[in-house]
Amino acid sequence: MIGPNPSSPEPQLTLQSQLQDLTLVWTWVEALAAHYSIPAQTQFAIQLCLEEALSNVMRHGYCGQPDQSLTVACAPFGIAELVFTVEDHAPPFDPFAAAPAATPASIQELQPGGRGIRLMRKFASRLAWQQLPDGNRLTLVFAIPPLANPKSLSPSLP
Amino acid sequence: MQISSEEMPGGITRVALDGRMDIAGAAAVDLKMNLIAGSAKKLLIDLQKVEFLGSMGLRSIVLPARAVHGRGGKVVLFAPNEMVESVLKTAGIDSLIPVRHDLDAAIAVLG
Repeated sequence: MIGPNPSSPEPQLTLQSQLQDLTLVWTWVEALAAHYSIPAQTQFAIQLCLEEALSNVMRHGYCGQPDQSLTVACAPFGIAELVFTVEDHAPPFDPFAAAPAATPASIQELQPGGRGIRLMRKFASRLAWQQLPDGNRLTLVFAIPPLANPKSLSPSLP
Repeated sequence: MQISSEEMPGGITRVALDGRMDIAGAAAVDLKMNLIAGSAKKLLIDLQKVEFLGSMGLRSIVLPARAVHGRGGKVVLFAPNEMVESVLKTAGIDSLIPVRHDLDAAIAVLG
């Protein structure tokens, strides 16, 4: 989990498409939070959105197949934003193209799922989807406290 | 993720969740949550010690709540922290399942 600079986290993780691999992401996000002095609420938001984005790729993009791979990368943007990019090799799918689910009128109408996109829209500053030649790229941006010394960032960041 | 339950006066079942309600946490408590929901008439879901709530964690709350409500029972969510409550509000859960931060108020919801 440690990058070229012993004090900085790896800028990118490669995961197998198994839900248990998400525990690697939590550890990574904790390391990023320490490195960039991310407030607890922002760390919560990052973990929430990444869990949603990555689990959707695993469960829906890859249809639960455990032998696929996906990557999640993190890089600062300017001095006050962190950009996470999730890339996969699943069939093209724009998660933001579907109409929002109707608001249920009663507990009985509550569906167990279908709230993930709404959560990502609320907790990330910006979201974007891009089709790749052989997959998808989802970009999630989070505001963070201004970086005190941008020169201290790992030179190997994408 | 830990789960515990106790019976309170008035026929109230209090389920306390402790930890991260992420995918793994939700899976760890789903079975017991559903077992409890299978018989509870008044369910108080204590979220005081829930540090994180993702969409799979929401599912672990919605399904038991639906089961209790479907049998004519009532459910209340007790004392989520600020971020957990923000998840509940964003997902629209709070408009259908009451959220209370005061225990007496939560008990009053259940009648």
